[in-house]
Amino acid sequence: MSVPLVRLRGIERWFGRVRALAGASLELHAGEVHGVIGSNGAGKSTLLNVLGGLLAPDGGTIEIAGAPTAIGSPRDAWSHGIGLVHQHFTLVPALTVRENLALGLRGRSFQEIDQIVDVTIEQTGLWVPLDAPVRSIGVGDRQRTEILKTLLRDPKLLVLDEPTAVLTPEEVDGLFTLLRTLAREGKAVALVAHKLDEVLAVSDRLTVLRTGETVLSAQRSDVSVRGLVAAMVGDGVADEIAVGVYRKDRPGSSGGAHGNPKGDETTAGVADAAPLVGRVVDVHDDALVDVTLEVHAGEVLGVAGVEGNGQHELALVLSGRRAPIAGQAHVPEEVAFIPQDRQREGLVVDFDLTENVALALSRLDRFGTGALMPWEDLEKEAERIRTRFDVAAPSTETLAGALSGGNQQRVIIGRELALGAPMLVAENPTRGLDVAAAAYVHGELTRLASEGLAIVLISTDLDEVLGLADRVVVMTRGRAVDVPESERSREGVGALMLSGGAEAT
Amino acid sequence: MSQVELVLFLESAVRLGIPLALAAMGETLTERSGVINIGLEGSIIAGALGGALGALAFEGAGLGIIAGAMAGLFVALIFAVFAISLGADQIITGTAVTIGGLGMTGAIYQAQFGATGTELSLPTLAPVAIPGLSEIPIVGTAFFAQAPTAYLAYVMAPIAWYVIFRTAWGLELRATGEAPAAAEAAGVRVRRVRFVATLFGGAMAGIAGAHLALAHAGTFAENMSAGKGFIAIAVVVLGRWNPVLVLFAALFFGAASALQFFLQALGFDIAYQIFLALPYVLTLAALAGWVGTSRAPAALALPWEPHR
Amino acid sequence: MSGGIAPARAREVALLGFGAVALTLGAGGLLLLAGGYDPGAAGAAMLRGSVGSWNTFVSITLVRSVPLLFAGLAVALAFRAGVWNIGAEGQLYAGAIAGVWVALTFDGFPTLILIPAMLAMSCVAGAAWALIPTLMRLRLGIGEVITTILMNFVGIYTAAWMVHGPLQEERGIFPQTDRIVEAARLPSFIPGTRLHLGFALGLVIAIGLAVLFRRTRFGFQIRAVGASPEAAAVAGRIEPSRVIFITFLASGAIAGLAGAVEVSGLTYALYENLSEGWGYTAIAVALLAGLRPGGVVVTAIFFGSLRAGAGAMQRDAGIPSAWVDVVEALVILGVLGLERVRAARIVTDIREGDS
Repeated sequence: MSVPLVRLRGIERWFGRVRALAGASLELHAGEVHGVIGSNGAGKSTLLNVLGGLLAPDGGTIEIAGAPTAIGSPRDAWSHGIGLVHQHFTLVPALTVRENLALGLRGRSFQEIDQIVDVTIEQTGLWVPLDAPVRSIGVGDRQRTEILKTLLRDPKLLVLDEPTAVLTPEEVDGLFTLLRTLAREGKAVALVAHKLDEVLAVSDRLTVLRTGETVLSAQRSDVSVRGLVAAMVGDGVADEIAVGVYRKDRPGSSGGAHGNPKGDETTAGVADAAPLVGRVVDVHDDALVDVTLEVHAGEVLGVAGVEGNGQHELALVLSGRRAPIAGQAHVPEEVAFIPQDRQREGLVVDFDLTENVALALSRLDRFGTGALMPWEDLEKEAERIRTRFDVAAPSTETLAGALSGGNQQRVIIGRELALGAPMLVAENPTRGLDVAAAAYVHGELTRLASEGLAIVLISTDLDEVLGLADRVVVMTRGRAVDVPESERSREGVGALMLSGGAEAT
Repeated sequence: MSQVELVLFLESAVRLGIPLALAAMGETLTERSGVINIGLEGSIIAGALGGALGALAFEGAGLGIIAGAMAGLFVALIFAVFAISLGADQIITGTAVTIGGLGMTGAIYQAQFGATGTELSLPTLAPVAIPGLSEIPIVGTAFFAQAPTAYLAYVMAPIAWYVIFRTAWGLELRATGEAPAAAEAAGVRVRRVRFVATLFGGAMAGIAGAHLALAHAGTFAENMSAGKGFIAIAVVVLGRWNPVLVLFAALFFGAASALQFFLQALGFDIAYQIFLALPYVLTLAALAGWVGTSRAPAALALPWEPHR
Repeated sequence: MSGGIAPARAREVALLGFGAVALTLGAGGLLLLAGGYDPGAAGAAMLRGSVGSWNTFVSITLVRSVPLLFAGLAVALAFRAGVWNIGAEGQLYAGAIAGVWVALTFDGFPTLILIPAMLAMSCVAGAAWALIPTLMRLRLGIGEVITTILMNFVGIYTAAWMVHGPLQEERGIFPQTDRIVEAARLPSFIPGTRLHLGFALGLVIAIGLAVLFRRTRFGFQIRAVGASPEAAAVAGRIEPSRVIFITFLASGAIAGLAGAVEVSGLTYALYENLSEGWGYTAIAVALLAGLRPGGVVVTAIFFGSLRAGAGAMQRDAGIPSAWVDVVEALVILGVLGLERVRAARIVTDIREGDS
């Protein structure tokens, strides 16, 4: 085989006491699309960030075209022709698309830049509104801008970190066609995605990471799905996961996915059987248009949709954190809420566990109504949550910021459940968690629904929604569109995302 | 009010506005990079003392201005090391730098010229009338028979505007102030941009201070900056982080300060101290009245650490 | 988090504090040496002037620490809630004006009515001075740093106007008010010294704030809003604007007390330039104390002794008193620097992979 364009060998990277990469390797060749897969926390993003010069490795070697090289900064990466499209957007919201593109092409005149931009758009079909400020454009356009920005500099190697999370299925197809074209033209393309089917659809070669190590690297044609899954999760659990992480069979559940015989009448079934817990009618808000929803005891209402279509606003309204500008929101006085951004909205990272538990629970009558904080009771409650939910923290005096993402989520879930609320709103509750932690969260949600809680699961992970929810709605441009039973597949929901709910209203 | 009084009013408005314009112009660039330098006051007072000592040492006001710029830059350097390199809180660092700047200049001055301070007499920066322009009725002398530093402020406004909005470096500057992570990912050296913008701001504040000592007062006095650094920061907000508007905002503040001559000429008998407070009240009112809709750079006052 | 000033745990605060002070004394000594002074003589004069004898300590150092104690507590309270109240200086003047006005206007009333009325009115005035920046932040989204600083100047000039105009002493010669009546003067705290009851009141407020933060619901809400307004709102269902409103005004009220207590306990009249920049020094006081009320008592006394010692330093060693400001600045920078070193260590400890 030819000399690889880039070869990473034995890469190590520590974050404090956590080893994120433990001898990861990766070989990227010109003319190939290379899929990097692994469960959450396997080190995929870390590895790509090392490649892009954003993180310095603590060990291992990097060779570019056979020559040992150090990549000390994003600038270094660029000088070697490595272009990284980040998982989190790196556009400047206050600047226009054109200015953002120019930022990536520093050192040239603005006129020259405009020409390059026009030519590249023509070649790639990545049409974007050039003179609009980035803050005013949608997530799909942002993603295209991001990719365009990287392509403008004509990289030899294009690295994309989870580029599909914010795209509709149709947009994903368009992107993959582009990636294949780029590879045909002789570029190397590396792609991270945690959805196996997507990676399989586009890759020529695959590398699997598990707990920071490369466990498999092979031609696409040489491996089976089963083999890949086994490599991703290790033996033992492979069978279970390959069958499906998400199990919705819950004995004792009142209704549920199986209990909706009428198919298209999406609000029937559960609706008749179980009491109504939450209801919003004709709600309008900053990012919400005419949203009407009902949530019933014992069901999981799944809210799917590409990020930024009003889900966060809906979550705030449903959880009673925000009064809509217009329309009615009838939600219980107390709603348990697992917000998307754990470290910003879910917890105070500088507070210890007791204080974080107190943040929500101290408003309950059972913790008194006087001016003083019942710290002893709260401390006991925090200890109960720590033990009951297996929070890996030495004591309740541990700062929340010192916990891993999964353990932070356990604290939040434990605390919110202690509220004793009849309804739970969970917003991307497994984002950034490893497989075990995600499975734990899914198990809890299922258990709670079977115990009669009304659950709203808002997620950009379509599989998660389809797997757990009894009923599904899709958020698209601020509207909530019911998904009939017959359409509850990736393709069906994808089509609804695109149609923008035009036919639904 | 007679024409003479109007001319007098305009003249003092411009004269009082210029040091603010100089300092605020620099601070505009600094803030565009995401750094708010509350230590500007320290740079101004250092500039005043540096300007005074420089003018004495080199026996010329022009070199004094340069010495003032260097002194202002030095103070901004201390701020930058803590607030940018170490990533310490900008507000608190700035406050410390201001306290230290006022104290240090006071100490040096007392050491040099005695505790009471013998009245210093400095070479002054004489006004230069621009032929033609200065002969325009009423506004001519007010705007175009000023010290050369005033013309620096006039010229800097469009230049700074051009740099911020029309050059590649300006683009980096704005990106750094709005979204440093994005700027870094695009290859911008965030801390370096912030450092440069902050040092530039310090140098401009130093020139403003030297102008106070050499073109205004002809002497140095402890605390002679009298809060101008803070006002300059308000002026930046008033001018919506746009150098051209900032120039006008500075002149507005100058006019507010000059109102005492105007109103006294009209025969109002208002206490002197109220006039001293008036510009601050008007600035607060102006902030409340028209800043509401504009936005500060999104990353203003947020420390930045490259994640390595 | 928006900077490195999260209130730290007590032991860390103490360590940081000692470290900063040690660094500062070292740096200050070197600067003095560079300036051609004898650091040893300066230090000796400083100690003599601040803690040289029991009476020096009580009548000079502690007395000088009183306004710093109040203003420092005001700043610590505001900073805890994430409110950048740089306006203690102006609020202090507002309080002083209000207090002296009550004392001069109701001079026939007995002490037990007059002094509480003075103090109450100074709280109202200080809070009122904070109200404008509060509303500008909450209603218009204009940062309080700039507005509180602007209000400082308005406060200083208003006080100057008062002592030249409406409240000027009877003969109209000196820029000061008449002296307030005996009944309006705070009694002595330690008999035989100049230390007045204002110091005790400051201690009471410090204890009150400590209890507030540690034991009460509202104190917890202040800490939550200061640490993370988003989490406070979403997880805690706390209305940050309400907490900020109350805390900002309370901070202004405590700063206002500083002014009235100074007039009622020490100067017995309002002067132009009553404050030596206490409102700004208060930031150093609060910061060095790690924003903890108990710590503020210690750091206020520390800065009080610096100010007391500075006078002696100038007298005995010929060192300009302005050096004290330099020392203050160095203390703040020392705390910031050490705090960043500490933060950097913690950050590398808890950074997570893959996110």
